[in-house]
Amino acid sequence: MIIIAEKINGSIPSVAKAIEARDAGFIQNLAKVQSEAGSDFIDVCASVEVSRELETLKWMIDLVQEVTDTPIAVDSPSSETCAKAIDFCKRPGLVNSVSMEGNKVEEVFPKIAKTEWECVALLCDDTGIPRSAEKRLEVFDALMQKAKEYNIDPSRLHIDPLVEMLATSDDGINMIIEVMKEIRRRYPTIHITGAASNVSFNLPARKIVNQAFVVLAMNAGLDSVILDPLNKDMRGLIYATEALLGHDEMCIEFIQAFRKGVFGTPPQAPAKK
Amino acid sequence: MAKIDEVKEQVIIGKTKMVPGLVQAALDEGSAAKDILQAMIDGMKVVGDRFSAGEIYVPEMLIAAKAMAKGVEVLKPSLSGEASTSLGTCVIGTVEGDLHDIGKNLVNMMIGSAGFDMVDIGVDQAPDKFIEAIKNNKNVKLVACSALLTTTLPALKKTVDAIRESGLQGFKIIVGGAPVTAQFAEEIGADAYAPDAGSAAEKAKEIVAA
Repeated sequence: MIIIAEKINGSIPSVAKAIEARDAGFIQNLAKVQSEAGSDFIDVCASVEVSRELETLKWMIDLVQEVTDTPIAVDSPSSETCAKAIDFCKRPGLVNSVSMEGNKVEEVFPKIAKTEWECVALLCDDTGIPRSAEKRLEVFDALMQKAKEYNIDPSRLHIDPLVEMLATSDDGINMIIEVMKEIRRRYPTIHITGAASNVSFNLPARKIVNQAFVVLAMNAGLDSVILDPLNKDMRGLIYATEALLGHDEMCIEFIQAFRKGVFGTPPQAPAKK
Repeated sequence: MAKIDEVKEQVIIGKTKMVPGLVQAALDEGSAAKDILQAMIDGMKVVGDRFSAGEIYVPEMLIAAKAMAKGVEVLKPSLSGEASTSLGTCVIGTVEGDLHDIGKNLVNMMIGSAGFDMVDIGVDQAPDKFIEAIKNNKNVKLVACSALLTTTLPALKKTVDAIRESGLQGFKIIVGGAPVTAQFAEEIGADAYAPDAGSAAEKAKEIVAA
């Protein structure tokens, strides 16, 4: 499972405060702990007004890169900003995100075409978020056409099929599961991603809903996820699900993550005699 | 660190991809094949001890044995030229009426990793099948009988009795399985008992050397 660590995001009040106060230590600590928890990408999102978004992103990305080699996920609602922020990064990371809205793809794909950068792509377009699986797969087809034009291999794409709130859904997550399965069937090497927590908006005990969602989505092909890597319950559940799905030969990943304390309570080292 | 020591370390942590290359490197460095084999056996002893102590899990023991097996493959051509390093043949099986083979397979793997040539006759084997296997294989030094169920404990006794009555000699009998105790093993006339796969390998070496 590819873990995209979500905690450095200006939409979180404590991070917004740190950004305003230019509190480097706060940001760097978040980078460090998330990296140590075995994240594959550290997401960096400024969430400030457009006029100072880029400079804020640069400040944040520089700080993160001072304390960890884990690749950055440059995160902005503006694809143009994402494309520019790529230049701040020392090593290839992840663009978060593009979609078939406007010319987002054109702003990012040419820039990453001949690099090792990966890219999150949301399945929505100028008409919004399509309601049916069929329509959403049409957006996917259009996106893959673009990827082909720019010679971006499916294995560099993280498709986010956009799960909606369970609280207002008519048929649970069945539609999105269908989309995930179809994408996985067509492109075995593509990544399918999503935010682990969107599904539970406006419900109590959200963590439980999020966990159930991740397990079901993994069974449908989800192999990349945006979450808090310090959430031990979720991490343990993901490792367990990988093993149950037969993706973890002899449960070695599960055991090793347990030993590292990614989840559970690691056994006490035997007392020295 | 000498390559031969690295072989041992990598067997312990089950690096199946690393071990073959390191075994070759150790040979290139001039270590004798039998010493490299011994290093791997020593590594597996560490693994067995850790398993017996509850410090590691079954997959970690399995992957260590797999790593050793990969190393032995590389070693084989060099080993055949040297004097035999085998501790002898071990016939292993689950007694009549008992179909459980997971524990027996673990013990098979660990005794094999300790330096025995294994003959696994499988599950649900009648006493005469054990006797047949002892007759048909060379240099049998050890017979290992497993029973997982309380209901198959009598079959364990029957098997040990039959082997003794056959008059065949030159080997020791070790028994094990969840309901088996050291006391029961002694009562039915077995030479040894082990509570788990790690200690089975140690006991095996011990009684065969005695």
